Amino acid sequence: MSLTRIALAGEGGQGVQSIAEILAEAAYNQDQQALYIPNFGLEQRGGVSIAFIQFSDIRIGAPKFHKADVVVALSERAVSRTAIYSGPDTLFVYDNGFHVSEQDLPREAKRIIGIPAIQTANQELHPRVFNIIIMGAVIGLTKVVSFDAAKDALESKLGYKFEKNPELRELNFKALELGKHMAEKALQEGGAENV
Amino acid sequence: MPNIIGASKKSFVTGNETAAWACLVAGADMMFGYPITPQNEIMHYWTRLAPKYGRGFLQTEDELSAGFTVCGSVQSGKKAFTATAGPGNVLMQEPFGMAEAMRLPLLAIIQQRGGPSSGTVVYSQQEVTLTTFGGNGEGMRIVYSTASHQDIYDYIIKGFNMAWKHRFPVFILGDGYQAKMREPLEMYNPEDRGIEMVKPYPLIGVEGKISAGREPQHLNNIYSLEEELYEVVMKVAAEYEALEDSIVEYDEKNCDDADIIILSHGVVSRAADDAVKILRAQGIKAGYFRPITLRPYPHKQLRNAIAKSGAKKLLIAESAYGQLERLTKQEIFGETIKIESLFRPGVGIIDYDIINKVKSVL
Repeated sequence: MSLTRIALAGEGGQGVQSIAEILAEAAYNQDQQALYIPNFGLEQRGGVSIAFIQFSDIRIGAPKFHKADVVVALSERAVSRTAIYSGPDTLFVYDNGFHVSEQDLPREAKRIIGIPAIQTANQELHPRVFNIIIMGAVIGLTKVVSFDAAKDALESKLGYKFEKNPELRELNFKALELGKHMAEKALQEGGAENV
Repeated sequence: MPNIIGASKKSFVTGNETAAWACLVAGADMMFGYPITPQNEIMHYWTRLAPKYGRGFLQTEDELSAGFTVCGSVQSGKKAFTATAGPGNVLMQEPFGMAEAMRLPLLAIIQQRGGPSSGTVVYSQQEVTLTTFGGNGEGMRIVYSTASHQDIYDYIIKGFNMAWKHRFPVFILGDGYQAKMREPLEMYNPEDRGIEMVKPYPLIGVEGKISAGREPQHLNNIYSLEEELYEVVMKVAAEYEALEDSIVEYDEKNCDDADIIILSHGVVSRAADDAVKILRAQGIKAGYFRPITLRPYPHKQLRNAIAKSGAKKLLIAESAYGQLERLTKQEIFGETIKIESLFRPGVGIIDYDIINKVKSVL
Protein backbone atom coordinates (compact mmCIF):
# COMPACT_ATOMS: atom_id res chain seq x y z
CA MET A 1 0.00 0.00 0.00
CA SER A 2 1.32 3.41 -0.88
CA LEU A 3 1.02 6.44 1.36
CA THR A 4 -2.47 7.28 2.62
CA ARG A 5 -3.07 10.54 4.45
CA ILE A 6 -6.13 11.17 6.57
CA ALA A 7 -7.32 14.24 8.48
CA LEU A 8 -10.08 13.78 11.05
CA ALA A 9 -11.59 16.87 12.63
CA GLY A 10 -14.30 17.58 15.14
CA GLU A 11 -15.12 19.22 18.43
CA GLY A 12 -13.28 18.41 21.64
CA GLY A 13 -14.96 15.43 23.30
CA GLN A 14 -16.23 13.86 20.07
CA GLY A 15 -13.51 11.26 20.24
CA VAL A 16 -11.61 12.31 17.13
CA GLN A 17 -8.20 11.74 18.69
CA SER A 18 -9.25 8.40 20.18
CA ILE A 19 -10.25 6.88 16.85
CA ALA A 20 -7.17 8.31 15.15
CA GLU A 21 -4.99 6.60 17.73
CA ILE A 22 -6.90 3.32 17.42
CA LEU A 23 -6.65 3.37 13.61
CA ALA A 24 -2.93 4.13 13.68
CA GLU A 25 -2.32 1.42 16.23
CA ALA A 26 -4.36 -1.09 14.18
CA ALA A 27 -2.21 -0.34 11.13
CA TYR A 28 0.97 -0.61 13.16
CA ASN A 29 -0.19 -4.00 14.45
CA GLN A 30 -0.57 -5.11 10.83
CA ASP A 31 3.14 -4.35 10.31
CA GLN A 32 2.52 -1.16 8.44
CA GLN A 33 4.25 2.13 9.02
CA ALA A 34 1.91 4.56 10.71
CA LEU A 35 2.25 8.05 12.11
CA TYR A 36 -0.39 9.89 14.10
CA ILE A 37 -0.18 13.40 15.47
CA PRO A 38 -2.91 15.42 17.15
CA ASN A 39 -3.04 19.16 16.91
CA PHE A 40 -3.02 20.16 20.52
CA GLY A 41 -3.25 23.23 22.62
CA LEU A 42 -6.29 24.79 21.04
CA GLU A 43 -8.96 22.15 21.36
CA GLN A 44 -9.18 22.56 25.13
CA ARG A 45 -9.78 26.24 24.53
CA GLY A 46 -12.74 25.70 22.25
CA GLY A 47 -11.05 25.15 18.91
CA VAL A 48 -11.55 22.40 16.36
CA SER A 49 -9.57 19.26 17.16
CA ILE A 50 -7.73 17.73 14.21
CA ALA A 51 -5.92 14.41 13.98
CA PHE A 52 -3.39 13.81 11.20
CA ILE A 53 -2.77 10.15 10.39
CA GLN A 54 -0.55 8.62 7.74
CA PHE A 55 -0.24 4.99 6.66
CA SER A 56 2.46 3.59 4.43
CA ASP A 57 4.62 0.56 3.76
CA ILE A 58 7.76 2.69 3.93
CA ARG A 59 9.10 5.18 6.48
CA ILE A 60 6.86 8.22 6.77
CA GLY A 61 8.41 11.68 6.42
CA ALA A 62 6.96 14.88 7.86
CA PRO A 63 4.29 14.38 10.55
CA LYS A 64 1.81 16.73 8.88
CA PHE A 65 0.85 17.10 5.22
CA HIS A 66 -0.44 19.48 2.59
CA LYS A 67 -3.45 17.63 1.16
CA ALA A 68 -5.18 14.54 2.54
CA ASP A 69 -6.51 11.53 0.68
CA VAL A 70 -9.48 11.52 3.03
CA VAL A 71 -10.82 14.33 5.19
CA VAL A 72 -13.60 13.60 7.67
CA ALA A 73 -15.30 16.60 9.28
CA LEU A 74 -17.31 15.68 12.35
CA SER A 75 -18.86 19.05 13.09
CA GLU A 76 -20.15 22.02 11.15
CA ARG A 77 -17.19 24.17 12.17
CA ALA A 78 -14.81 21.38 11.23
CA VAL A 79 -16.06 21.46 7.62
CA SER A 80 -14.73 24.94 6.91
CA ARG A 81 -11.68 24.42 9.14
CA THR A 82 -10.51 21.36 7.17
CA ALA A 83 -11.36 22.55 3.66
CA ILE A 84 -7.70 23.56 3.22
CA TYR A 85 -6.62 19.90 3.44
CA SER A 86 -8.85 18.95 0.51
CA GLY A 87 -7.26 18.79 -2.95
CA PRO A 88 -8.23 17.40 -6.35
CA ASP A 89 -7.67 13.80 -5.15
CA THR A 90 -9.35 14.10 -1.75
CA LEU A 91 -12.48 12.31 -0.57
CA PHE A 92 -14.14 14.88 1.65
CA VAL A 93 -16.62 13.35 4.08
CA TYR A 94 -19.06 15.14 6.35
CA ASP A 95 -22.36 14.41 8.02
CA ASN A 96 -25.26 15.18 5.73
CA GLY A 97 -27.25 16.40 8.72
CA PHE A 98 -24.98 19.47 9.00
CA HIS A 99 -26.21 22.86 7.92
CA VAL A 100 -23.26 24.01 5.87
CA SER A 101 -23.32 26.53 3.10
CA GLU A 102 -21.82 25.87 -0.30
CA GLN A 103 -18.89 28.21 0.41
CA ASP A 104 -17.89 26.28 3.54
CA LEU A 105 -17.36 23.13 1.49
CA PRO A 106 -13.93 22.67 -0.05
CA ARG A 107 -13.39 24.17 -3.46
CA GLU A 108 -11.35 21.20 -4.54
CA ALA A 109 -12.21 17.56 -3.90
CA LYS A 110 -12.36 14.33 -5.83
CA ARG A 111 -15.72 13.68 -4.20
CA ILE A 112 -17.71 15.30 -1.44
CA ILE A 113 -19.62 12.67 0.45
CA GLY A 114 -22.36 13.20 3.00
CA ILE A 115 -23.15 10.31 5.32
CA PRO A 116 -25.91 10.03 7.95
CA ALA A 117 -23.58 9.19 10.83
CA ILE A 118 -25.12 11.34 13.56
CA GLN A 119 -28.67 10.25 12.71
CA THR A 120 -27.64 6.59 12.67
CA ALA A 121 -25.83 6.91 15.98
CA ASN A 122 -28.73 8.68 17.67
CA GLN A 123 -31.54 6.56 16.25
CA GLU A 124 -30.11 3.10 15.71
CA LEU A 125 -27.28 2.85 18.25
CA HIS A 126 -26.17 5.36 20.85
CA PRO A 127 -24.73 8.88 20.51
CA ARG A 128 -21.54 7.76 22.28
CA VAL A 129 -20.51 5.48 19.39
CA PHE A 130 -20.73 8.24 16.78
CA ASN A 131 -16.95 8.31 16.54
CA ILE A 132 -16.78 4.54 16.04
CA ILE A 133 -19.20 4.87 13.11
CA ILE A 134 -16.74 7.38 11.65
CA MET A 135 -13.87 5.01 12.29
CA GLY A 136 -15.80 2.34 10.35
CA ALA A 137 -16.41 4.85 7.56
CA VAL A 138 -12.67 5.56 7.28
CA ILE A 139 -12.04 1.83 6.89
CA GLY A 140 -14.80 1.57 4.29
CA LEU A 141 -13.29 4.45 2.32
CA THR A 142 -9.61 3.63 2.48
CA LYS A 143 -8.99 0.02 3.50
CA VAL A 144 -6.02 1.32 5.54
CA VAL A 145 -6.68 -1.44 8.02
CA SER A 146 -8.76 -4.60 7.80
CA PHE A 147 -12.07 -4.81 9.62
CA ASP A 148 -10.68 -7.51 11.89
CA ALA A 149 -7.60 -5.49 12.76
CA ALA A 150 -9.84 -2.56 13.65
CA LYS A 151 -11.91 -4.80 15.91
CA ASP A 152 -8.76 -6.10 17.59
CA ALA A 153 -7.52 -2.56 18.15
CA LEU A 154 -10.87 -1.55 19.65
CA GLU A 155 -10.72 -4.58 21.90
CA SER A 156 -7.23 -3.73 23.12
CA LYS A 157 -8.15 -0.07 23.71
CA LEU A 158 -11.58 -0.56 25.28
CA GLY A 159 -11.36 -4.16 26.46
CA TYR A 160 -11.40 -3.15 30.11
CA LYS A 161 -14.74 -1.37 29.55
CA PHE A 162 -16.11 -4.27 27.54
CA GLU A 163 -15.31 -6.62 30.41
CA LYS A 164 -17.53 -4.63 32.73
CA ASN A 165 -20.28 -4.23 30.18
CA PRO A 166 -20.27 -6.77 27.32
CA GLU A 167 -23.13 -4.92 25.59
CA LEU A 168 -20.66 -2.12 24.92
CA ARG A 169 -18.54 -4.47 22.83
CA GLU A 170 -21.50 -5.38 20.67
CA LEU A 171 -22.50 -1.73 20.36
CA ASN A 172 -19.01 -0.67 19.26
CA PHE A 173 -18.59 -3.50 16.76
CA LYS A 174 -22.04 -2.81 15.36
CA ALA A 175 -21.14 0.89 14.98
CA LEU A 176 -17.91 -0.02 13.21
CA GLU A 177 -19.78 -2.23 10.77
CA LEU A 178 -22.54 0.31 10.11
CA GLY A 179 -19.94 3.00 9.45
CA LYS A 180 -18.06 0.77 7.02
CA HIS A 181 -21.25 -0.07 5.10
CA MET A 182 -22.34 3.53 5.09
CA ALA A 183 -19.08 4.60 3.46
CA GLU A 184 -19.04 1.77 0.96
CA LYS A 185 -22.60 2.58 -0.04
CA ALA A 186 -21.80 6.26 -0.41
CA LEU A 187 -18.81 5.40 -2.60
CA GLN A 188 -20.95 3.23 -4.87
CA GLU A 189 -23.68 5.82 -5.19
CA GLY A 190 -21.20 8.48 -6.01
CA GLY A 191 -21.57 11.92 -4.57
CA ALA A 192 -20.80 15.32 -5.87
CA GLU A 193 -17.87 14.60 -8.17
CA ASN A 194 -15.13 17.09 -8.96
CA VAL A 195 -16.89 20.13 -7.71
CA MET B 1 21.80 -3.31 34.78
CA PRO B 2 18.42 -5.02 35.12
CA ASN B 3 16.89 -6.51 32.01
CA ILE B 4 14.17 -3.89 31.48
CA ILE B 5 13.09 -4.39 27.89
CA GLY B 6 13.78 -8.10 27.50
CA ALA B 7 14.34 -9.06 23.87
CA SER B 8 14.36 -5.98 21.65
CA LYS B 9 10.75 -5.03 20.95
CA LYS B 10 8.76 -2.84 18.62
CA SER B 11 6.23 -0.43 20.01
CA PHE B 12 3.99 2.40 18.84
CA VAL B 13 4.49 5.29 21.22
CA THR B 14 4.81 9.05 21.59
CA GLY B 15 8.21 10.78 21.63
CA ASN B 16 7.77 11.70 25.28
CA GLU B 17 7.13 8.08 26.22
CA THR B 18 10.18 7.15 24.15
CA ALA B 19 12.30 9.60 26.15
CA ALA B 20 11.19 8.21 29.52
CA TRP B 21 11.94 4.62 28.47
CA ALA B 22 15.32 5.62 27.06
CA CYS B 23 16.34 7.32 30.32
CA LEU B 24 15.25 4.21 32.20
CA VAL B 25 17.29 1.77 30.10
CA ALA B 26 20.25 4.17 30.11
CA GLY B 27 20.33 3.75 33.88
CA ALA B 28 19.20 7.24 34.90
CA ASP B 29 18.80 7.42 38.68
CA MET B 30 16.84 10.59 39.05
CA MET B 31 14.74 13.16 37.21
CA PHE B 32 14.16 16.69 38.42
CA GLY B 33 11.55 18.65 36.54
CA TYR B 34 8.89 21.25 36.36
CA PRO B 35 5.86 20.85 34.09
CA ILE B 36 5.68 22.61 30.75
CA THR B 37 4.01 21.58 27.50
CA PRO B 38 4.98 19.81 25.28
CA GLN B 39 7.37 17.77 27.46
CA ASN B 40 4.98 16.99 30.35
CA GLU B 41 4.51 13.34 29.48
CA ILE B 42 8.23 12.67 29.94
CA MET B 43 7.61 13.42 33.62
CA HIS B 44 4.33 11.53 33.63
CA TYR B 45 5.83 8.36 32.18
CA TRP B 46 8.95 8.66 34.30
CA THR B 47 6.93 8.96 37.51
CA ARG B 48 5.07 5.77 36.55
CA LEU B 49 8.21 3.86 35.63
CA ALA B 50 10.68 5.15 38.21
CA PRO B 51 9.23 3.57 41.39
CA LYS B 52 9.15 0.12 39.76
CA TYR B 53 12.89 0.27 39.13
CA GLY B 54 14.05 2.11 42.24
CA ARG B 55 14.62 5.41 40.45
CA GLY B 56 13.74 8.84 41.79
CA PHE B 57 11.78 11.90 40.83
CA LEU B 58 11.38 15.36 42.31
CA GLN B 59 9.12 18.10 41.02
CA THR B 60 10.82 21.32 41.99
CA GLU B 61 9.27 24.77 42.40
CA ASP B 62 10.45 26.01 39.01
CA GLU B 63 12.91 25.32 36.18
CA LEU B 64 15.79 27.19 37.81
CA SER B 65 15.52 24.83 40.71
CA ALA B 66 15.11 21.76 38.50
CA GLY B 67 18.31 22.65 36.64
CA PHE B 68 20.31 23.30 39.80
CA THR B 69 19.11 20.14 41.52
CA VAL B 70 20.36 18.18 38.52
CA CYS B 71 23.70 20.00 38.91
CA GLY B 72 23.82 18.92 42.55
CA SER B 73 22.65 15.40 41.95
CA VAL B 74 25.28 14.59 39.32
CA GLN B 75 28.01 15.88 41.64
CA SER B 76 26.96 13.29 44.18
CA GLY B 77 27.38 10.60 41.50
CA LYS B 78 23.76 10.16 40.42
CA LYS B 79 22.88 9.89 36.76
CA ALA B 80 20.32 12.70 36.76
CA PHE B 81 18.42 14.48 34.01
CA THR B 82 15.72 17.02 33.34
CA ALA B 83 13.36 17.92 30.52
CA THR B 84 11.87 21.25 29.54
CA ALA B 85 10.78 23.56 26.73
CA GLY B 86 10.40 27.21 25.74
CA PRO B 87 10.40 29.60 28.70
CA GLY B 88 11.54 26.68 30.88
CA ASN B 89 14.60 26.32 28.67
CA VAL B 90 15.27 30.05 29.12
CA LEU B 91 15.20 29.70 32.92
CA MET B 92 17.41 26.63 32.85
CA GLN B 93 20.20 28.44 31.04
CA GLU B 94 21.63 29.59 34.36
CA PRO B 95 22.06 26.05 35.74
CA PHE B 96 23.17 24.86 32.28
CA GLY B 97 25.87 27.54 32.45
CA MET B 98 26.94 26.16 35.82
CA ALA B 99 27.15 22.72 34.23
CA GLU B 100 29.47 24.17 31.57
CA ALA B 101 31.56 25.97 34.17
CA MET B 102 31.95 22.95 36.44
CA ARG B 103 32.01 20.34 33.66
CA LEU B 104 28.94 18.56 35.03
CA PRO B 105 27.59 15.46 33.24
CA LEU B 106 24.06 16.77 32.95
CA LEU B 107 21.51 15.60 30.39
CA ALA B 108 18.52 17.72 29.38
CA ILE B 109 15.76 16.87 26.94
CA ILE B 110 14.35 19.92 25.19
CA GLN B 111 11.04 19.64 23.33
CA GLN B 112 10.91 22.94 21.45
CA ARG B 113 7.68 24.93 21.45
CA GLY B 114 6.81 28.17 19.65
CA GLY B 115 8.36 31.44 20.76
CA PRO B 116 9.24 34.09 21.73
CA SER B 117 7.92 34.02 25.31
CA SER B 118 5.08 31.57 25.91
CA GLY B 119 4.54 31.49 22.13
CA THR B 120 2.65 28.29 21.42
CA VAL B 121 2.57 24.98 23.22
CA VAL B 122 2.89 23.14 19.93
CA TYR B 123 6.09 23.13 17.90
CA SER B 124 9.05 25.08 16.54
CA GLN B 125 12.78 24.93 15.96
CA GLN B 126 13.24 28.25 17.72
CA GLU B 127 15.33 26.98 20.63
CA VAL B 128 18.41 26.27 18.53
CA THR B 129 20.32 29.43 19.48
CA LEU B 130 19.32 29.03 23.14
CA THR B 131 20.23 25.37 23.37
CA THR B 132 23.55 25.64 21.50
CA PHE B 133 24.86 28.95 22.85
CA GLY B 134 22.51 29.95 25.68
CA GLY B 135 23.85 31.23 28.98
CA ASN B 136 26.79 33.53 29.65
CA GLY B 137 29.37 31.06 28.43
CA GLU B 138 30.95 29.80 25.23
CA GLY B 139 28.57 27.01 24.18
CA MET B 140 30.68 24.15 25.54
CA ARG B 141 27.86 21.68 25.16
CA ILE B 142 26.90 18.69 23.07
CA VAL B 143 23.56 19.11 21.28
CA TYR B 144 21.89 16.26 19.38
CA SER B 145 18.99 17.28 17.15
CA THR B 146 16.68 14.28 16.80
CA ALA B 147 14.38 13.54 13.85
CA SER B 148 12.49 10.42 14.94
CA HIS B 149 11.55 8.40 17.97
CA GLN B 150 14.39 6.03 17.21
CA ASP B 151 16.77 9.02 17.33
CA ILE B 152 15.35 10.15 20.67
CA TYR B 153 15.88 6.67 22.11
CA ASP B 154 19.33 6.10 20.62
CA TYR B 155 20.71 9.57 21.39
CA ILE B 156 19.47 9.63 24.98
CA ILE B 157 21.41 6.41 25.59
CA LYS B 158 24.42 7.82 23.79
CA GLY B 159 23.97 11.24 25.42
CA PHE B 160 24.29 9.91 28.96
CA ASN B 161 27.48 8.17 27.95
CA MET B 162 28.94 11.26 26.30
CA ALA B 163 28.05 13.36 29.36
CA TRP B 164 29.71 10.97 31.82
CA LYS B 165 32.66 10.25 29.58
CA HIS B 166 33.56 13.82 28.63
CA ARG B 167 31.83 15.84 31.36
CA PHE B 168 30.13 18.30 29.05
CA PRO B 169 26.39 18.94 29.42
CA VAL B 170 24.39 17.08 26.77
CA PHE B 171 21.13 18.20 25.18
CA ILE B 172 18.62 16.12 23.30
CA LEU B 173 16.87 18.69 21.13
CA GLY B 174 13.45 17.49 20.03
CA ASP B 175 10.25 19.43 19.41
CA GLY B 176 6.53 19.38 20.10
CA TYR B 177 5.75 17.29 17.03
CA GLN B 178 8.21 14.60 18.03
CA ALA B 179 6.97 14.82 21.62
CA LYS B 180 3.33 14.26 20.77
CA MET B 181 3.26 12.10 17.66
CA ARG B 182 3.06 8.31 17.66
CA GLU B 183 5.26 6.26 15.40
CA PRO B 184 7.04 2.91 15.56
CA LEU B 185 10.07 2.57 17.83
CA GLU B 186 12.40 -0.32 18.52
CA MET B 187 13.30 -0.47 22.20
CA TYR B 188 16.27 -2.44 23.45
CA ASN B 189 18.60 -2.80 26.40
CA PRO B 190 21.83 -0.97 25.52
CA GLU B 191 23.87 -3.93 26.80
CA ASP B 192 22.21 -6.23 24.24
CA ARG B 193 23.55 -3.99 21.47
CA GLY B 194 27.05 -4.06 22.89
CA ILE B 195 26.68 -0.56 24.33
CA GLU B 196 28.44 -0.32 27.64
CA MET B 197 26.85 2.32 29.86
CA VAL B 198 29.41 4.56 31.56
CA LYS B 199 28.95 4.21 35.31
CA PRO B 200 28.23 7.45 37.13
CA TYR B 201 30.81 8.51 39.71
CA PRO B 202 30.81 11.12 42.48
CA LEU B 203 32.62 14.41 41.85
CA ILE B 204 32.59 15.39 45.51
CA GLY B 205 33.54 13.44 48.62
CA VAL B 206 35.87 11.30 46.54
CA GLU B 207 38.34 8.98 48.20
CA GLY B 208 41.91 9.93 49.00
CA LYS B 209 43.48 13.14 50.15
CA ILE B 210 44.52 16.11 48.08
CA SER B 211 48.34 16.28 48.09
CA ALA B 212 48.38 12.63 49.13
CA GLY B 213 47.69 10.80 45.94
CA ARG B 214 44.77 12.64 44.39
CA GLU B 215 44.31 15.80 42.39
CA PRO B 216 41.77 18.39 43.56
CA GLN B 217 38.43 18.34 41.72
CA HIS B 218 38.24 22.10 41.10
CA LEU B 219 34.44 22.20 41.01
CA ASN B 220 34.22 25.93 40.70
CA ASN B 221 31.81 28.34 39.08
CA ILE B 222 33.27 31.59 40.43
CA TYR B 223 36.82 32.93 40.46
CA SER B 224 38.32 35.93 42.24
CA LEU B 225 40.98 36.55 39.60
CA GLU B 226 40.31 37.34 35.93
CA GLU B 227 43.40 35.39 34.93
CA GLU B 228 42.18 32.32 36.76
CA LEU B 229 38.87 32.34 34.85
CA TYR B 230 40.72 32.97 31.59
CA GLU B 231 42.93 29.96 32.16
CA VAL B 232 39.98 27.68 32.92
CA VAL B 233 37.88 28.82 29.95
CA MET B 234 40.84 28.43 27.58
CA LYS B 235 41.57 24.95 28.91
CA VAL B 236 37.93 23.87 28.58
CA ALA B 237 37.72 25.31 25.06
CA ALA B 238 40.86 23.44 24.03
CA GLU B 239 39.50 20.18 25.44
CA TYR B 240 36.16 20.71 23.72
CA GLU B 241 37.79 21.45 20.37
CA ALA B 242 40.04 18.42 20.67
CA LEU B 243 36.96 16.25 21.08
CA GLU B 244 34.95 17.78 18.22
CA ASP B 245 35.88 15.23 15.56
CA SER B 246 34.90 12.33 17.78
CA ILE B 247 31.55 13.87 18.73
CA VAL B 248 30.32 15.37 15.47
CA GLU B 249 27.53 13.47 13.69
CA TYR B 250 25.72 14.20 10.45
CA ASP B 251 23.76 12.54 7.67
CA GLU B 252 24.36 13.19 3.98
CA LYS B 253 22.60 11.87 0.86
CA ASN B 254 22.92 12.59 -2.86
CA CYS B 255 25.49 15.36 -2.40
CA ASP B 256 28.09 14.00 -4.83
CA ASP B 257 26.56 15.62 -7.91
CA ALA B 258 24.04 17.99 -6.35
CA ASP B 259 23.22 21.36 -7.91
CA ILE B 260 21.45 22.39 -4.73
CA ILE B 261 22.00 21.07 -1.21
CA ILE B 262 19.07 21.17 1.18
CA LEU B 263 20.26 21.70 4.74
CA SER B 264 17.87 21.03 7.61
CA HIS B 265 17.90 19.51 11.08
CA GLY B 266 15.53 17.62 13.36
CA VAL B 267 12.05 16.70 12.22
CA VAL B 268 12.31 18.99 9.16
CA SER B 269 15.05 16.74 7.77
CA ARG B 270 12.40 14.04 7.22
CA ALA B 271 10.59 16.37 4.82
CA ALA B 272 13.92 17.28 3.20
CA ASP B 273 14.72 13.61 2.68
CA ASP B 274 11.37 13.05 0.92
CA ALA B 275 11.77 16.27 -1.08
CA VAL B 276 15.18 15.18 -2.39
CA LYS B 277 13.76 11.82 -3.52
CA ILE B 278 10.87 13.50 -5.35
CA LEU B 279 13.12 16.16 -6.91
CA ARG B 280 15.61 13.52 -8.07
CA ALA B 281 12.74 11.56 -9.67
CA GLN B 282 11.91 14.74 -11.57
CA GLY B 283 15.49 15.09 -12.78
CA ILE B 284 16.50 17.86 -10.38
CA LYS B 285 19.87 17.21 -8.77
CA ALA B 286 19.14 17.92 -5.13
CA GLY B 287 21.25 16.78 -2.18
CA TYR B 288 20.50 16.33 1.51
CA PHE B 289 22.63 17.36 4.46
CA ARG B 290 21.54 17.07 8.08
CA PRO B 291 23.70 18.08 11.03
CA ILE B 292 22.76 15.66 13.82
CA THR B 293 25.01 17.44 16.31
CA LEU B 294 24.36 21.20 16.26
CA ARG B 295 27.16 21.60 18.84
CA PRO B 296 29.77 20.71 17.79
CA TYR B 297 28.68 21.45 14.24
CA PRO B 298 29.81 19.21 11.34
CA HIS B 299 31.38 22.15 9.51
CA LYS B 300 34.19 20.17 7.89
CA GLN B 301 31.71 17.64 6.52
CA LEU B 302 29.40 20.35 5.18
CA ARG B 303 32.30 22.20 3.54
CA ASN B 304 33.35 18.91 1.99
CA ALA B 305 29.82 18.25 0.66
CA ILE B 306 29.75 21.71 -0.91
CA ALA B 307 33.21 21.24 -2.44
CA LYS B 308 32.70 17.78 -3.90
CA SER B 309 29.25 18.53 -5.35
CA GLY B 310 30.14 21.90 -6.80
CA ALA B 311 26.59 22.88 -5.81
CA LYS B 312 25.66 26.46 -6.64
CA LYS B 313 23.08 26.80 -3.89
CA LEU B 314 22.49 25.81 -0.30
CA LEU B 315 18.86 25.92 0.80
CA ILE B 316 18.41 26.15 4.57
CA ALA B 317 14.95 25.01 5.70
CA GLU B 318 13.91 25.48 9.31
CA SER B 319 10.88 26.13 11.52
CA ALA B 320 12.55 29.27 12.85
CA TYR B 321 13.54 32.65 11.43
CA GLY B 322 17.17 31.91 10.67
CA GLN B 323 18.58 30.24 13.79
CA LEU B 324 20.06 27.30 11.88
CA GLU B 325 21.11 29.70 9.13
CA ARG B 326 23.12 31.91 11.51
CA LEU B 327 24.71 28.88 13.11
CA THR B 328 25.62 27.46 9.70
CA LYS B 329 26.97 30.74 8.30
CA GLN B 330 29.41 31.17 11.18
CA GLU B 331 30.52 27.56 10.86
CA ILE B 332 31.22 27.68 7.11
CA PHE B 333 32.47 31.26 6.97
CA GLY B 334 34.28 31.96 3.71
CA GLU B 335 32.29 29.59 1.52
CA THR B 336 30.93 31.35 -1.54
CA ILE B 337 27.93 29.09 -2.18
CA LYS B 338 24.73 31.12 -2.45
CA ILE B 339 22.50 30.59 0.55
CA GLU B 340 18.73 30.51 0.10
CA SER B 341 16.31 30.15 2.97
CA LEU B 342 12.93 28.67 3.80
CA PHE B 343 11.99 30.05 7.20
CA ARG B 344 8.68 28.98 8.72
CA PRO B 345 8.98 29.99 12.39
CA GLY B 346 6.72 27.96 14.67
CA VAL B 347 5.04 25.87 11.96
CA GLY B 348 5.90 22.61 10.27
CA ILE B 349 7.70 22.19 6.95
CA ILE B 350 6.65 19.45 4.55
CA ASP B 351 8.22 18.10 1.36
CA TYR B 352 5.75 20.17 -0.69
CA ASP B 353 7.13 23.44 0.80
CA ILE B 354 10.73 22.45 0.11
CA ILE B 355 10.06 21.27 -3.45
CA ASN B 356 8.29 24.55 -4.29
CA LYS B 357 11.14 26.56 -2.80
CA VAL B 358 13.80 24.60 -4.68
CA LYS B 359 11.96 25.11 -7.97
CA SER B 360 11.61 28.83 -7.30
CA VAL B 361 15.34 29.36 -6.73
CA LEU B 362 16.89 27.02 -9.31
